[in-house]
Amino acid sequence: MANSRKDDPAKYPLLGRKMMWLEKPGSVAKVIAALVLASAVVALADFFYEKHGKFAEEEVEGFFAMFGFVMFTLLVLAARGLRALVGEREDYYGTKAVDQEESYPEDQIEIRDYDDD
Amino acid sequence: MISVIPTAFIFFAAALVLLALPKTGVLRPLLLLATPIVAVAVVWNAGLGNFAQIGFFGFELEFMRLDRLSRVFVVVFCLAAFLGNLYAWHVRDTVQQVAALLYAGSAIGATLAGDMITLFFYWEGTAIASVFLIWARGTEGAYWTGLRYLIIQIGSGVILLAGVVLWYRETGSIAFERMTLGSLATWLIFLSFGIKCAFPLLHNWLQDAYPAATVTGTVILSAFTTKLAVYALARGFAGTEILIYIGTVMTLFPIFFAEIENDLRRVLAYSLNNQLGFMVVGIGVGTEMALNGTVSHAFAHILYKALLFMSVGAVMFRTGTSKASELGGLYRTMPLTATFCLVGAASISAFPLFSGFVTKSLILDEAAGANYELVWLALVFASAGVLSHSGIKIPFFTFFAHDSGKRPAEAPRHMLWAMGITAFLSIYIGVFPNTLYAILPYDVDFVPYTVGHVVAQLQLLLFALLAFVVVYRTGIHPPEVRQINLDFDWTYRKAAPSVIRVLAAFVAHVYAAILTFLTNRVKNTLNRLYRSHGPEGRMARSWPTGAMVLSIALLLGATLLVNFAG
Repeated sequence: MANSRKDDPAKYPLLGRKMMWLEKPGSVAKVIAALVLASAVVALADFFYEKHGKFAEEEVEGFFAMFGFVMFTLLVLAARGLRALVGEREDYYGTKAVDQEESYPEDQIEIRDYDDD
Repeated sequence: MISVIPTAFIFFAAALVLLALPKTGVLRPLLLLATPIVAVAVVWNAGLGNFAQIGFFGFELEFMRLDRLSRVFVVVFCLAAFLGNLYAWHVRDTVQQVAALLYAGSAIGATLAGDMITLFFYWEGTAIASVFLIWARGTEGAYWTGLRYLIIQIGSGVILLAGVVLWYRETGSIAFERMTLGSLATWLIFLSFGIKCAFPLLHNWLQDAYPAATVTGTVILSAFTTKLAVYALARGFAGTEILIYIGTVMTLFPIFFAEIENDLRRVLAYSLNNQLGFMVVGIGVGTEMALNGTVSHAFAHILYKALLFMSVGAVMFRTGTSKASELGGLYRTMPLTATFCLVGAASISAFPLFSGFVTKSLILDEAAGANYELVWLALVFASAGVLSHSGIKIPFFTFFAHDSGKRPAEAPRHMLWAMGITAFLSIYIGVFPNTLYAILPYDVDFVPYTVGHVVAQLQLLLFALLAFVVVYRTGIHPPEVRQINLDFDWTYRKAAPSVIRVLAAFVAHVYAAILTFLTNRVKNTLNRLYRSHGPEGRMARSWPTGAMVLSIALLLGATLLVNFAG
């Protein structure tokens, strides 16, 4: 399985072929542009309605936008640090651990490629 | 007196019937689907009340306490059993089929238990039945993982029993009602619930066991044990303030581990732990609306968490792996699974119009309403963390990101149906929250779709997404690599065994030293005796027989002399 010898996108499921629009050059840029636009809209929306927040910070325009961006970034940075601290090889717990099994027991599943009959 | 058949018995009877049915064919899978439908119909038509009391060694056991709190859990447990069994339609393994029925039945039995003795029996029932879903994987790793899981789960039950016994001595009652933390009895019961609810430092059985279960077993496991614990806490310890802080820690620490975990089913286990945190906070706040928030979040969570486990399970079913480092780009040939996964991701991330949004905001608003500002901020942060691992990482690194070159076939039809129905329900709850609100324990006075809620949530999520784009494109995002991360289970999988090994070596040394000392003493004594009494010894210069004859001769001579003299 895995790398098909004759990869034929025409045989992919219809929905899959439609979604392959993402592979076209510029598509990802469009998705990101849409995300930026949507973010800008919800950030600016803060100026156009009356807030009923419980805490003072909720009254700040764009508080949730800033909080989301900053905290997400900090989370990722902290996670990198954590990995350096606790990361270990897959066979750390020895050969009797599930983590070092190369594959799920194949007799219980049906490993198949899209073009297998 | 039994006026309505206890729901658990329906599942146990079905397990017996199942054994009589042929192993192949559709009868067994049909029975597995029909059982939860019959069960939920019986429960729904029974109305509310106490329907089954049975005398037991002088105690009155209550098997069927149906009130608004237990009913909603029974409904969602039946729903989860139905969806899980549909997902497992292809499984022909009798052990897993029976275990699924007994497990769901025990969880429902515990939910409907009106007294703590019944609760204890079903509590242990969930432990024993569920471990077979792990062992069914059939590998040595799964066997040892299952043993660890079983020890901890049974331990939780034993602690519960100790607590119940003390509680009975203290109050003379075994009724399962709200308690106040204070005596040893209540602390033991609390601890027992906490183990099953994966409180911090008691949590690792969850991340250890769920990724080791079978493809379908994990989907079923994800629904029952921990939500039973949430129910038990909501029943017994609502309004206990310490739960607010325990819950907050639970929402926070798993998001860091989930971020760097490679096995996607373990990512989901961490994510499950984080979601339990939100529910525990709601129980700690303890107002009617907060409890509504907890219960509704448990309801929505069971569905979207099952959906996420299903989609990753489907990938595993087709590729043999659930490791992010080995996956990527699967949307081309598994587009439906990818779509359902995205619905699950949006639901758990609490995007407006998806189920998580209408349930989580209840908890957050109540935490804010009770003036826990830092807790509230932590929960908002944790919400961004949920987006990170369950909203982005799971779908993105499985179905998009770099192309792994794998072109697996789409999931089997029954799995697609199970995922499709679950995805539909997750959206339906998000769009029509009042359907769910109507069956909550208390009347709901809450409007999730206000401008403020929607804008705040969208800001949080969209800007977190933007941050992801930035950290991913700049390469700051931790790459998916084949490794594991040490968590608290290190203490009992590595540290404790090492300590025991060192201790054992020390004890062996001391024992050997004492033994040598004693043997030497005995040897020396023997040598000394040998030297004096041995063949060459001083005492053995004359042979005993000769000596005897000589003594007798002397004695006779002496007697003769005495006679002559006399």
